[in-house]
Amino acid sequence: MADRAIKLLVIGESGVGKSSLIRRFVENKFDENHDVTIGMDFKSKVMNVDGIDYKVALWDTAGAERFRSLTPSFYRKALGAILVYDITNRDSLVKLEAWLAELDSYSDNPNIAIIVVGNKIDQERVVDREEGRKFARKHRALFIETSAKCDQFVSDVFKDVVEKIVSSEYFGNGYGSDGMDIGGNDVHEKPASTCNC
Amino acid sequence: MDELLNDVVPQEDLERFEKKYHHELELDGEVTSETKFEYAFCLVRSRYTNDIRKGIMILEELARTHPDGRRDYIYYLAFGNARIKNYTEGLKYCKAFLEIESNDQVRSLEEYIKKQSDKEIAKGMAVAGGAALVLGGILGLGIAMARNKQKRDK
Repeated sequence: MADRAIKLLVIGESGVGKSSLIRRFVENKFDENHDVTIGMDFKSKVMNVDGIDYKVALWDTAGAERFRSLTPSFYRKALGAILVYDITNRDSLVKLEAWLAELDSYSDNPNIAIIVVGNKIDQERVVDREEGRKFARKHRALFIETSAKCDQFVSDVFKDVVEKIVSSEYFGNGYGSDGMDIGGNDVHEKPASTCNC
Repeated sequence: MDELLNDVVPQEDLERFEKKYHHELELDGEVTSETKFEYAFCLVRSRYTNDIRKGIMILEELARTHPDGRRDYIYYLAFGNARIKNYTEGLKYCKAFLEIESNDQVRSLEEYIKKQSDKEIAKGMAVAGGAALVLGGILGLGIAMARNKQKRDK
């Protein structure tokens, strides 16, 4: 049953931890070095939601500016988008506006499920949790804070967005009938925790 | 890795960047390295071998003349060569990249190319082995026939 494929896109500024989140989720590894992604990379993982296996295809995009004009074709057919910022860098949250605009103009799926992820909660925070949450709410997106380094809430990112996709009335031939959540109030309320690795 | 290598560039992307490339060439007599890269990036993801080869040529030139973007060029040189089963070249570029910079993405590509290249070698050996068997059969038949002839001659 793993042929039910779900394409997810991971976008955001360079160095916020997009590849690290994917790597932690798929391989349960973390590397302190920042391996700058070239163009785009791909990893996949089978996820089970409510007894059904889904093959989740994770398209990791380079945050670097020079690939900006080249990546639009990768937005196509994506059912979900993971927008990542770094909670130690306010600019990376501000820039998510621009990434959302890209998503708006290039995605061919008006009902794309979006989750905003504030990464690096193992480090000293600059951006309040509330700021990230406000941003997510404004854009009717899910919200979560994570640490790829300490493996905190990383799998929740993927679980939350995939659950939202498969429970949507737009998914496949109407799995579930709860419809899309357009109120955007199923925002995550997990306690912010501190991690000492 | 298969998904990444089998992902084909949308035709309209290829055409858009091809147009941009030729437009600059006609207008200014030269093409910026940015436009060259955009076009090559589409070419190496084409379904046609000739496009991929053309992309590789552009990337080789960029890698020589524009050191700023070298890591991108070298990665896509490895990528393009892997797509046309030019495994030796592909591995050469992976190795060159990893000598300068440690990178998970490039290591995955290197492993993939090694695996594919080993498969090809195994296939080659199977073919060679098969050929040896056939040759052996013919030789054996020849010897048997010669012996037969000797017997009959007696």
